[in-house]
Amino acid sequence: MKKPYNETWVNNLAIQQISEKWRFNNLISHEQNEAVKVAFPEEFYRPGIFVKIGLFVFACIACSFFIGFIALFILDAGSNTFGLVSVVCCLCFTFFLEFLIKDRKLFHSGVDNALLYSAIGASLVPVFMLFENLEFWQYCICILAVLCFAAIRYADLLVTASAFVTIFTLLSNLMMKFPLGKALLPFGIMILAVVIYFSAKKIRQTYYRECRIVLEVLSLITLYLGGNYYVVREGNALLSDLALLVSPQIPFASVFYFFTLIIPLIYIFLGLRKKDRILLLVGLFALAFSIFTYRYYFGIFTLAQGLALAGIFMVIVSILCIRYLKEPKYGITDEPDGERKMANMEALIAAQYLGQTPQENGIEFGGGNFGGGGAGNTY
Amino acid sequence: MNNSKVLGNLLSREIISVQQHNAIESYLAKKPFSVHWELRSLLYLGILFFGSGLGILIYENIDTIGHQAIIAAISAITIGCFFYTFKVSLPFSWLEVRNPNKFADYILLLGCSTFLILEGYLQFQYKFFGSKYGLAVIIPTIVFFFCAYRFDHKGVLSMAITGLASWLGLTIAPLSIISKNDFTDIKLLITSIILGLGLIGFGWISEQKDLKKHFAFSYLFLGGNLAAIAVITGLFIHEFKVLYFVPGATLSAFFIMRSRSSQSLVFLLMGVVYGYIILTYCLIKILPDKALGFLSVYYFLFSSVGVLLFLLNFKKFLRIKK
Repeated sequence: MKKPYNETWVNNLAIQQISEKWRFNNLISHEQNEAVKVAFPEEFYRPGIFVKIGLFVFACIACSFFIGFIALFILDAGSNTFGLVSVVCCLCFTFFLEFLIKDRKLFHSGVDNALLYSAIGASLVPVFMLFENLEFWQYCICILAVLCFAAIRYADLLVTASAFVTIFTLLSNLMMKFPLGKALLPFGIMILAVVIYFSAKKIRQTYYRECRIVLEVLSLITLYLGGNYYVVREGNALLSDLALLVSPQIPFASVFYFFTLIIPLIYIFLGLRKKDRILLLVGLFALAFSIFTYRYYFGIFTLAQGLALAGIFMVIVSILCIRYLKEPKYGITDEPDGERKMANMEALIAAQYLGQTPQENGIEFGGGNFGGGGAGNTY
Repeated sequence: MNNSKVLGNLLSREIISVQQHNAIESYLAKKPFSVHWELRSLLYLGILFFGSGLGILIYENIDTIGHQAIIAAISAITIGCFFYTFKVSLPFSWLEVRNPNKFADYILLLGCSTFLILEGYLQFQYKFFGSKYGLAVIIPTIVFFFCAYRFDHKGVLSMAITGLASWLGLTIAPLSIISKNDFTDIKLLITSIILGLGLIGFGWISEQKDLKKHFAFSYLFLGGNLAAIAVITGLFIHEFKVLYFVPGATLSAFFIMRSRSSQSLVFLLMGVVYGYIILTYCLIKILPDKALGFLSVYYFLFSSVGVLLFLLNFKKFLRIKK
């Protein structure tokens, strides 16, 4: 199948990005980098993230009012015309999508994302309207089919993620139908996650580079959550409709304790070993969630004590690591290898959390909040 | 597309020589894995956690721990942090100063947070400033402004701007402008607009005169959002719409023009979104009610397509060279 986005340009873009990184690290000269840009050209329209957001928002507005516009002509008192409206809209959106990608050389630039999502939404409406009495899993299959087609054709991140979620919803729904399946649900989820992870790893095409990353991240997270003690225990209570104050102990609890502890450690270890940043980062977040899980069931500290202790611990660990890794050890280093892009964002986050005005009453005293500024509420 | 494939491509087009190809290949294979930003983020989060945890702890145990002991401890931390920061600081300059010391920025941030806690504590327990609450807020603000400029720290600058706003009774943190401020009070609204415009002006001056040029973003972003949201709220809820329309439209135009001189497109987005809201609202107000229902579908459809065309061609419209 011919891809809507120019595949040569996608490849060239990847080459340019990598060679730009090399230039930054002084592996190749500036002239060589310029030569790369000439030898491997791409003409995609790729505005910055903020213009992208604007394009996306306004394209969504345009799409929804386009539906209203079409409805003005077609919709009458009859009830079945709404399906027709969505079919017409779906066709128009798809046409605009393909046309704009060709004509304007869009490449995941906001407009095409919005059009794609609108087209998918519009294409699913008739399915729901025509088949009203299908089982839940049959709807899932329909949705999955549309999403997979769109993901393969347009390599869109959100569509890929939605397909991922749908496939797990489908699996859970099917397994829940049998008592045995219900008991083995966590294992089913973990196995599917592993399968998806390793199939995603096999994707070599640059066209799907970002989809691959999304799939890797999601399947790693799902694998971890599938084996996490907290998720399994609370999920079990939720699925069995037990309205107890404390959800009951689960069978094979020790297996899940083991998973909760070992999976983050394996992620972090493998991440450092294989120089795989995705594994490392997911592992770090998973470790944090494991600590939360432990605290939830066996915690002896209050929230404040826990926060302060965790804070001290994190500061000490990071300082020790920074000192230890001054010289590279075991192939790991503390030297930055790229430019820092988020410096401005970091400052704004500091403003958000460290400096807010006094709040009424319950002043969170201290806590780095301006509320502690002794400024009462006389304003 | 991985490194070796790119290398192969570059070699086949004779952009790099065989020697360079081999050198880069072996360098990449041997290159250590950098965990720089992971560790920095851990440190940053740790400080945030510790600060919040400590704050709540003190608040909870305010009766059992001796007050003097707490004050002594917090003062010790604060003084220690500032002492360290001064010790490792580089001489002042109006240009951007990058401190090679790895911890300086974080220690300063910690010191500023504990300074706030200390001051709040003194006021809470001993009514240090009596009923002069304004004084209690303006002191850390001044200290933070000084620290931000002296040690070149954008985070502390944001805290200082926030402090200045709360001295005037406002919340300026990006996500809380609407939820935390009571804009039905016209006095507060006017204050916000004036403060926002003042901050924009200040940012503009610091950019023009090259006084800590890299601080301009914080001023313009925080001030611009505050002013624009205040103007729009005023436009919605108060009479004398023209009074709000003029500064609102000017602000939007300013944002759009500004995104031309700096390459920061966040201002373009702000200008377009705020401008669109203002224009749409005014049109709806001006048009008679009868025509409205009929026209609204067309208006929204065509106007949003128009904005899309503008955004797709903004480089051409604003004459930004690639």
